Amino acid sequence: MNLITGIIAIAIGGIYLVTAMLLPEMRMGDKLGPKLFPSIVGILAIVAGTILALEERNPGKRSKKADFGFVKHKEVWIKILLTTAVGIAYGLLMDPLGFLLPTTLFMLFISTLINKGRLVQNLILAIAFSVITYGVFAVALKLSLPRGFIEQLLPF
Amino acid sequence: MQEIFSNLALGMQTAMTWTNILWVVIGGSLGTIIGMLPGLGPATGVAVLIPITFGMNPATALITMCAVYYGAMFGGSRASIMINVPGDASAIVSCFDGYPMTKQGRAGPALAISAIASFIGGMIGMVFLVFLTQPIASAALKFGPAEMFSLLLFALVATITLSEGNLLKGLIAIAFGLMLATVGIDGMTGIIRFTYGIESLNDGIDFLVIIIGVYAVCEVYKNFKDINAVYKFDSKSIGKVWITKEDWKRSWKPMLRNSPIGFLIGVLPGMGGSIATFMSYALEKNLSKHPEEFGKGAIEGLAAPEASNNACSCGAMVPLLTLGIPGSGTTAVMLGALMMLGVRPGPTLFTDHPEIAWGVIASMIIGNIILIIINLPLAIPLVQILRVPTRIMLPIIMGLALIGTFFLNYSSFDFIIVMIAGIIGYMFSKLEIPLPPLVLALILGGAFEQNLRNSMVLSDGSISIFFQKPISVVFLVLAVGTLVYALLRRKKQTA
Repeated sequence: MNLITGIIAIAIGGIYLVTAMLLPEMRMGDKLGPKLFPSIVGILAIVAGTILALEERNPGKRSKKADFGFVKHKEVWIKILLTTAVGIAYGLLMDPLGFLLPTTLFMLFISTLINKGRLVQNLILAIAFSVITYGVFAVALKLSLPRGFIEQLLPF
Repeated sequence: MQEIFSNLALGMQTAMTWTNILWVVIGGSLGTIIGMLPGLGPATGVAVLIPITFGMNPATALITMCAVYYGAMFGGSRASIMINVPGDASAIVSCFDGYPMTKQGRAGPALAISAIASFIGGMIGMVFLVFLTQPIASAALKFGPAEMFSLLLFALVATITLSEGNLLKGLIAIAFGLMLATVGIDGMTGIIRFTYGIESLNDGIDFLVIIIGVYAVCEVYKNFKDINAVYKFDSKSIGKVWITKEDWKRSWKPMLRNSPIGFLIGVLPGMGGSIATFMSYALEKNLSKHPEEFGKGAIEGLAAPEASNNACSCGAMVPLLTLGIPGSGTTAVMLGALMMLGVRPGPTLFTDHPEIAWGVIASMIIGNIILIIINLPLAIPLVQILRVPTRIMLPIIMGLALIGTFFLNYSSFDFIIVMIAGIIGYMFSKLEIPLPPLVLALILGGAFEQNLRNSMVLSDGSISIFFQKPISVVFLVLAVGTLVYALLRRKKQTA
């Protein structure tokens, strides 16, 4: 587990450090400039990652094996990736389609994913959630929400 | 002394409006419910409820968030007592004696002492909070960039050294948080940094989006494994939600003893409610004449950590309000939400907006009273929430998290960040990398770099500036001290 963490820290720290080094040198009265602080942070990640990874060589300090559950809990990862993809799509659809339709569709998708085989219950949850949140945020709290064709039909 | 009371009176004036009292009731009830749900802690609770504070004035917004935080602290132990599943890490200890009490048919007294101890701990914590904030805020007004840099350095070091877990992993989390904080246009030179050509990142990454991702979205992901969990309990066996004279006799001293301890732990960055509750439990067990009863339904084993936990949440408000430094995940979320509303907590809050600073403190006193009223007579109806299946709660949490994300900047791009942050949070939990250091570094990173660079401008590039200012030296010594303490502790553990 610590070996993987160490390698990730070295890789991300390395990319970050190289990017920092490539930044233009522009001080304008600023003694440190825009490069130094990020460079220190990059080095910090690399050093911490290296020590963590090297400690794994010592049997007494060896950490337990990382268990991401890619195989054992494959279905969890499928759900996570599907939710991620649909969550991003939800955000992209909000502007063109308004609040109510994408929210209902997203809630229907996620509740079907989690609460399998209960279509009516999920449909009620999805519609109730989007209507209540619309009522609370757009009507009661008067926050601006994207308006699609459904919202155009509403009096508020 | 007189100044403190007149400030408190000013705060009471702000807090005692019908609108604010109503929001304390709503926020406290929602917080109690969210805190009660297994796996959902106060940070997630405040994160998903941020949108309800938009459109409010800053004082009401902060009052509402405090009520949610406080409510979550009251509610956290309900699930521990009834179903042996803690609402969050700070409620783990409540399982030790709370659940055995339920099994013995004493769920009523367990729920009652949990609410009473939370109330007493909260009230004692409030007394300390009232008397400490003004002097700390006044002292902090004199801080220049060097002092602020050293203070932030201490806060970051303390977050990884005082918290539990691997020191190096905490350091890596801090580095990742600082990396995220540097994305976007550099305020001093106008150079665009670390955006890798993505224009949407030019204004930087909104830390609230990351926070919602790593707390709320990630919590939903973590619960995917147990989506069929349904918790059952017998409401009829709860009995009367009150305590006997004997219960009180056994509990009052532990409550009084552990409240100041909890408060002190709350003030320190990185030492959250879980450490406070474990410490209080251990202390009471050591002091008890019947340590063998602990873990088998000893009421003081429930009273002490509950009082300590709520006092701890008051303590956590000290660095947030007076220095603008959040000491825990929840206070970090609150800071982020306030910055969205254009309010920056810190010493100037007490001089520029005393009505907000003291209004919040006063509202916490009122909130404490309202919450005991909610949590004692309504304890039985409230715990029925635990019967709502996880598979219904999770979609609601996810929906609220994404709507909250949308309200932050009305940006579709934020949905990409929040979903990725959710996966990163999940991976962090699998690799046992602590999240609070990342969140704190992300929030404080901008000010940390800014104060470092401003100090260098003032000193013409010499680091001696940090050693010339006495307050700066104190914080540097504290930072080194906590680091040495952590290294010694680590050595002792591995020996």
